[in-house]
Amino acid sequence: MAEGELPMATSTNNNRPKILILGTLSGGYRGADSVGQEHLEYPPNTYILPVMSAAIFPETFYMRAFERGFDGIIVMFSGTDCPYKGAPERTAEIINKTYELMKERKLDLNRLRLAAICTVCVRPFIEEVHKMEQLLDEIGKLPHPLPP
Amino acid sequence: MPEQSDKSNPPEKELGLAPDPSPEEEPRIGVYVCNCGGNIGDVVNCKQVAEALRNIPNVVTSHSNMFMCSDPGQKLITDDIKEKGINRVVIGACSIFLHEQTFRQAVERAGLNPYLYYHVGLREQDSWVHYNHPEDATEKAIRLMLAGVAKARKMEPLEPVRLQAEKHALVIGGGVAGLRTALDIARSGLKVTLVEKSHFLGGRVAQWERVFPTGETARTLLQRLLEQVQAEPDITIHTGAKVVKTKGYVGNFQIHIRQQPRGIKADFDAVDQAIAACPVEIPDEFNYGLKTRKAIYQPYSGCYPAGPVVDWEHCTHCEKCLEFSHNHDINLDDTPIEFDINVGAVAVATGFRPYEPFPGEMGYGKFPEVITLPQLERLLAADGPTGGKLEWNGRSVRSLAMIHCVGSRQVDDVHQPQPDGQVNNYCSRVCCTATLNAANIIHERLPETRIYDVYTDIRTYGRGHEDYYTLASKNGVTFLRYFVEDIPEVYPAEKGSYYSMLVKVKDQLTWGEEIELPVDLVVLAVGMMPNPVDDLIGLFNITPGNDRFLLEVHPKLSPVETSVVGIVLAGTAQGPMNIQESCTAAAAAASKVVVLLGRGQVEMEPYVAQIDIERCQGNGDCVRVCPQEDAIKLETFSKNGTSFQRAVVTPANCNGCGVCVSTCSHRAIDVLGWRLDDYEAMVDAITAEIPVLEGVPA
Repeated sequence: MAEGELPMATSTNNNRPKILILGTLSGGYRGADSVGQEHLEYPPNTYILPVMSAAIFPETFYMRAFERGFDGIIVMFSGTDCPYKGAPERTAEIINKTYELMKERKLDLNRLRLAAICTVCVRPFIEEVHKMEQLLDEIGKLPHPLPP
Repeated sequence: MPEQSDKSNPPEKELGLAPDPSPEEEPRIGVYVCNCGGNIGDVVNCKQVAEALRNIPNVVTSHSNMFMCSDPGQKLITDDIKEKGINRVVIGACSIFLHEQTFRQAVERAGLNPYLYYHVGLREQDSWVHYNHPEDATEKAIRLMLAGVAKARKMEPLEPVRLQAEKHALVIGGGVAGLRTALDIARSGLKVTLVEKSHFLGGRVAQWERVFPTGETARTLLQRLLEQVQAEPDITIHTGAKVVKTKGYVGNFQIHIRQQPRGIKADFDAVDQAIAACPVEIPDEFNYGLKTRKAIYQPYSGCYPAGPVVDWEHCTHCEKCLEFSHNHDINLDDTPIEFDINVGAVAVATGFRPYEPFPGEMGYGKFPEVITLPQLERLLAADGPTGGKLEWNGRSVRSLAMIHCVGSRQVDDVHQPQPDGQVNNYCSRVCCTATLNAANIIHERLPETRIYDVYTDIRTYGRGHEDYYTLASKNGVTFLRYFVEDIPEVYPAEKGSYYSMLVKVKDQLTWGEEIELPVDLVVLAVGMMPNPVDDLIGLFNITPGNDRFLLEVHPKLSPVETSVVGIVLAGTAQGPMNIQESCTAAAAAASKVVVLLGRGQVEMEPYVAQIDIERCQGNGDCVRVCPQEDAIKLETFSKNGTSFQRAVVTPANCNGCGVCVSTCSHRAIDVLGWRLDDYEAMVDAITAEIPVLEGVPA
């Protein structure tokens, strides 16, 4: 098997929509830890990746993630409390640009959300995940391949 | 390619388009899934996860283990590194914030670069939140571990950025926090320069009377600290001074300071006559406007530095004071001086200012009988406007109301916002105990005086603070509770009444009964606001929080560090604190500075931007968007006699914010350790189909 190739088989929940959460180490990722420490439940089809700053992701990254199989993406940064000057503004700017690309591809813009989540924002974290889950229940998974 | 430790580059150099200097080696990945006792293993089938990862390309070994953080767990990793040639490690365990350092050290002990390890959070972010769905939790663990392996394939050895450091720190602010910080740093063998914008040290504490929880007079406390600071030869103090320009980075900040002259020699012996001759009368800020002062002044007897100064803002240059100046003791033509210092770190201890109620807020500014708690402190002070006697309008105060939470715990649409549109929704923490402390002092001096304490909640949170509440209760202080929807009303009593003011409270302790309190004086227990430091925020690129106080990186794990390495916070610049907490924060800030600079070299995480010089087109987009000063610049290179520009990162100035990464259309920049390629590979790994492994016992 070549590098990067993954074994093909049927998984248990491949048919459920997948949600990617990009959680900043100073915000959403720690917020997710706080949710865990309180043993509060949210759906398991959520995959949280730690990021130093969400400002590194260009709009193409989000479109690619949709193309590869994510049905919803939540960027959980620390908003105005972000320790990196200029990064929250840049992140918001990129999300807006991504919305333009999503419009062109006729994707529901609600599939991508930017949320300010602090290190102890337990309820807001849960609410954001449930909102996305509810949306995906209503509008369903993205078709693959995505419409051009 | 610039090395990470490079601080500067020559203006033009021959470009050798060399690839990454680290030798390419086939990734040999060790995968370890921790059961965390049963914390993970009771929900996630860890054996199944380990099995699912076993046959993934580049995975050489895959284990599940009861406690990876235990000695045997760590030995498993170090043995695999030594015996199986593992050169990348992926661990699925508890929170990254709990054991990342543990595993980094284990990996390093076995001779592997510590950055060749990736941590997947399977406890807080999987088993603890999906305990009713063990199969789904197991699948999630597999996918997250696959993402970890995908990242591990691309990981590269990293080295901390190492920089020479000046063994010299700057402390901004000469209040208790600044003094304590300076003292602790100097006692650890580093040089300290302390700058204070006013002409005197001591800050707000100098204005107070008796402080909780020790009951000492504030001046005694301050005097002790000042004597220690003065006795420390490694502390240089500049009063009337402020930072006006900064450059550089941790280990080597270049600081430009402007210092106002004092205008009067320290040994001038006709101070009283000169002050008396000065015709200027302005509100005395030291006494919160309760009296006036001249344009030649000293805030209080025994202040440090001793002797008066000229208030250049209000001096009219009438020269009447010069009649008493015999040997050029007073120089009204004195001008500011400017100078530079080089320091390795900076402690910001710029302190707080009391909330200033809006005109008319609970009668403040409208009725002279309404004052603030800091003004009350001055009335109680032995060197205050009344010599420590609680008098108002020439007679002893017979009855007073003290109203809590003025300028704290405010609510949108109820309270008037500050100019930035925000109300102070935070608790100022100190005012409850300070109010009760003042109430007890008043009772001690004037036992017949009736005291009403009008509160929303009493928050006497610190050690010994509750005693002040208990004592106030015993002293007969009458407590009334208001809700924020029904803010107490303050208005004058009818002419000729025994008491001049009335306070109407909808008292929740008596189920909302409206009670009118007849009083001589109303004291508003105002909250804390940060001193305005927009200039320093701009100069140092530090960040204020929503509450306008300066923001730490993390309230628990990095409580005094800012996002700019080498800049730390001390005291109430960061949020409301009492003296005890300010000194604790100051000691923490000092220890951070000492740890950082003590070795004369600083080490920073290697997560800084790196340019792929082969992809870079030199269009300068990254330079334009970079929020950090001097973190990226364009430099001229040459190849085969042709000159061209390429971006170059100064690692010491880069904080890894990644703004440049998303801006570069050529994908020529990445943040080391957090590359965009890594994330794409992780996305692919999570979304790929995975094998179903049945029959693996948990």
